[in-house]
Amino acid sequence: MSTEDAKLKFQTRGVHVFYGDKEAIKGVDLDIYNNEVTALIGPSGCGKSTYLRCLNRMNDTVDGAKVTGSILLDGTDIYDRKVDVVQLRARVGMVFQKPNPFPKSIFENIAYGPRIHGLASKKSEYDAIVETSLKKAGLWNEVSDRLDEPGTSLSGGQQQRLCIARAIAVSPEVILMDEPCSALDPIATARVEELIDELRENYAIVIVTHSMQQAARVSQKTAFFHLGEIVERGHTEQIFTNPREERTRDYITGRFG
Amino acid sequence: MPNDHIVSSYDKELENLRSSIARMGGLAETQIAGAVDALFKRSAERAEQVVEADKALDDLEIAIEKDAISILARRQPMASDLREIVSALKMSSILERIGDYSKNIAKRVTAINESDNFRIVRTVGDMAHLVQKMLKDVLDAYIDQDAVKAMDVWERDAPVDELYNSLFRELLTYMMEDARAITPCTHLLFAAKNVERMGDHVTNLAEIVFYLVNGEILEDTRPKGDRTSFTVLRPHED
Repeated sequence: MSTEDAKLKFQTRGVHVFYGDKEAIKGVDLDIYNNEVTALIGPSGCGKSTYLRCLNRMNDTVDGAKVTGSILLDGTDIYDRKVDVVQLRARVGMVFQKPNPFPKSIFENIAYGPRIHGLASKKSEYDAIVETSLKKAGLWNEVSDRLDEPGTSLSGGQQQRLCIARAIAVSPEVILMDEPCSALDPIATARVEELIDELRENYAIVIVTHSMQQAARVSQKTAFFHLGEIVERGHTEQIFTNPREERTRDYITGRFG
Repeated sequence: MPNDHIVSSYDKELENLRSSIARMGGLAETQIAGAVDALFKRSAERAEQVVEADKALDDLEIAIEKDAISILARRQPMASDLREIVSALKMSSILERIGDYSKNIAKRVTAINESDNFRIVRTVGDMAHLVQKMLKDVLDAYIDQDAVKAMDVWERDAPVDELYNSLFRELLTYMMEDARAITPCTHLLFAAKNVERMGDHVTNLAEIVFYLVNGEILEDTRPKGDRTSFTVLRPHED
């Protein structure tokens, strides 16, 4: 087994997504690796977010959505009937475009997930999970003295890192991020990007972003989506300095008509 | 490269960069021709014109550098655009250097005029013509985005090196025969070396055009034709 194979986390083949009659994803093959950030780029409506949402079955919640093809997480089909979706989403966490903390205290925002998954029982165990998660998300120093305050009282950038801490708290293996910085200012964005780079040591990360520069900065692999298909995928450096496909070139250089 | 960015002022900026490089290239060609002309005509006045004209190349290099930095800062260029800007930066500094070599040859004209060995001056002129043609072709390759043409130029540096090798030995022989020839011959030797270096720089331009078009850096190093670093001639040889 090569090291690439050993790091393989998600193997997806022939993925199609239909919303009613509309085919949003038209047969996507993509591999996601551990300890790597995979960036999905492409114009609005290209299917990148739809694809991302297949990876933890978020599309299940959309009426009329149908997913076909094979999506294997560590070799197991996540769309198999035996798979517990709640467990799956603990393994494959998600961070959204707009920070969406629960209307609860900072502490409860983090402790909520571990509690419903039964990951801890004693107060001291919850304390430890909250502290570790906030530290991993780079937020601990800013909030350690006000854990009882509502999560919504934090700044936008802090709220987003709180949501990342919340995703980390249930010990996921993969973190999906759907434009996690689009509502943040440049400094908060830089903090989140720094965090993504650190998180890569322990997780597989998939990020959808409209910022080409962000994809180039944070990811190791990039896939360019267009009209529900992957036009090109490869090492980030190659995609941004020497794309093979004209459509990729046109998109990343700002020539898309 | 197609000019069809959504932001049209970006196209204009890249176009300006390209035409500045072409203009520098044209000037650098003219300077080589001017230096050779001054050598052939044994004209100090012509040489002075070449020395003064070098300023235009220096100014253009600075202008290109400023423009390129500004585009990098404001546009965050990607892919072929990024390669275009990096290439322009590198090419402008090489063209400026080629200009310096022409200027240096021009400065030596008065000293070289001390010699009446016009045959050697001819050979330096022949070398310079080869390099000037290479420079013209590599600039055409740049404008046409033609990597094949660039590689053809890349191959053509070998004859320049060969001429330099034979000229080097010949000049050493003259200097051994007649000590009074040492001053003009040394200046001629430097002039010839300058032309040889210009040829090397033109091959670097060819490599940049290759990178610009293909996105791949040429890693094969060109076999070096200049063997004079190892050449020893002894007075009583043969």
